Amino acid sequence: MEPDAQLVQDCLRGDGPSWEELVRRHARRVFNLCYRFTGNSTDADDLSQEVFLRIYKTLPSYKASYGAFPTWLTSVTRNLLVDHYRRTRRDRLTDSIDDENAPQLEEKPSAMRSPDKIAEAGELSAQIQEGLAQLSPELREAVILRDLQGFEYAEIQAVLQVPEGTVKSRINRGRIELAKILGDMGLRPN
Amino acid sequence: MEWNCTLTEDRLSDYLDGTLSREEAAAFEAHAATCAKCAKLVADVRGLVTRMQKLEPLAAPPMLVTRIVNATTGPQKQSAGWKNVLAWRPAVLQPRFALGLVTVAATILILMYTAGFTPTRWKHADLSPGTVLRTANRQAHLTFAKSAKFVNDLRVVYEIQTRLQPEAEPQQAPAVPQQNSSPANPQDRSQASPHPGHSQARTGVLLASLL
Repeated sequence: MEPDAQLVQDCLRGDGPSWEELVRRHARRVFNLCYRFTGNSTDADDLSQEVFLRIYKTLPSYKASYGAFPTWLTSVTRNLLVDHYRRTRRDRLTDSIDDENAPQLEEKPSAMRSPDKIAEAGELSAQIQEGLAQLSPELREAVILRDLQGFEYAEIQAVLQVPEGTVKSRINRGRIELAKILGDMGLRPN
Repeated sequence: MEWNCTLTEDRLSDYLDGTLSREEAAAFEAHAATCAKCAKLVADVRGLVTRMQKLEPLAAPPMLVTRIVNATTGPQKQSAGWKNVLAWRPAVLQPRFALGLVTVAATILILMYTAGFTPTRWKHADLSPGTVLRTANRQAHLTFAKSAKFVNDLRVVYEIQTRLQPEAEPQQAPAVPQQNSSPANPQDRSQASPHPGHSQARTGVLLASLL
C-alpha cells in the first residue's frame, strides 16, 4: 500500500484514482469522528463531505512538516466540527428561547432521540454515544481522539493546538465523567 | 509517599497508561486498596477505556466515497465498468438491503410458481404476454378447482360425522324420549336403543352412496 504522502503527491499531479484512494482510506475515520462528536449520522455524512471538499481545495498547501496526513486531516475535521458546534449551539439557544419548557436542549442534542440511535449497531456503542453527548465539547473531542480514534498524546496536541498537560488533563477528566455518566445510566463498564 | 482521593483522580490516566513512577504507582495502588470509592473509580474507568478501545468503528455510509469523489473530481467515467458496479457492493451487503433483496426474490419466485412458470423448463414462448395470461388463468382455475374439491371433501366428512353422532345423543339426554315413549311399543324401543349391527349397515350404505 502506498503511503499517504505519495498519494498526496500523486493527487497534486492531478491523478484522480489517487485522490479516490486517499478518500477511501480515510472516509471511515472522518465519518466516525464526526458521528461521535455530533451524535447524528446525517450531520456526520454532510460534515465528512465538507471535510474532504476542504482538503481537496487546500491540498496544495499541505506540507509534510505539518505532521502526518491523518493528523492534518483530523485538524481540518476538528475545526469544521467546532464551527458546526458553534453554529448549532446558536440554533439550540434560539430553540430554547422559543420553548421555555425545554431548557435542557442545549445539553442533550435532540439527535440523541432520533432513529439514528435506534439504528445503531451495538447497545454499548449507543450508550457510549449517549454518554459522550453529555460531555463538554472539549472533553468529548479529547476522549474521542484518544480512546475511539487511537491517537497518541502528541498527535492530539497537534490537532487541538493546546499544551500536552491540557490534553492529558482533558482526557483524564473526560474518562472519569463518562464513566460516572454511564454508571448513572446503569452501565457497568467493567 | 502520601496519596489521597484527589491525587487518584488527577493521575488516574497516567496510572492506566503506565506513566507513573514506580513509587507513585505503589502509592496509588496502596490508596486504592484501602479506599472503596477510588477502587471503584479505577475499575470503572479502566473497564470503560478497554471497551472503548475495542469498540469497532462504525461503517461509513455506502455511497459517501462516491459522493465525495463526484463532488471533487467530478463523476467517474463510465469506462470504469465493473468498478462502478462494485461500488454498490457495501450497500447490498448491509443486512437491511440483503433482507429486502431476499424478500423480493422470494415474492417473485412465489408469483412465478403461482403463474405456472417453472424456471428450469422455460422457453422464450413462455414469456409472451398471451402465454403468461393463459397460464395464469389456467393456474387460477386449477387452484379454484382444488379449493372447491377440498371444501367438498370437508363437507362429506362433516356429513358422515353428523349422521353417526345422533346414535349417541339419546343416551346422553334420555329424559324427554323416556316420558313420551311407551315400553309396549316396539318401534319406539328400537329408536331409543338401536341395534349396533343396524348402525354399521347404515354407515356402509351411506359411504357407498357418497363414493
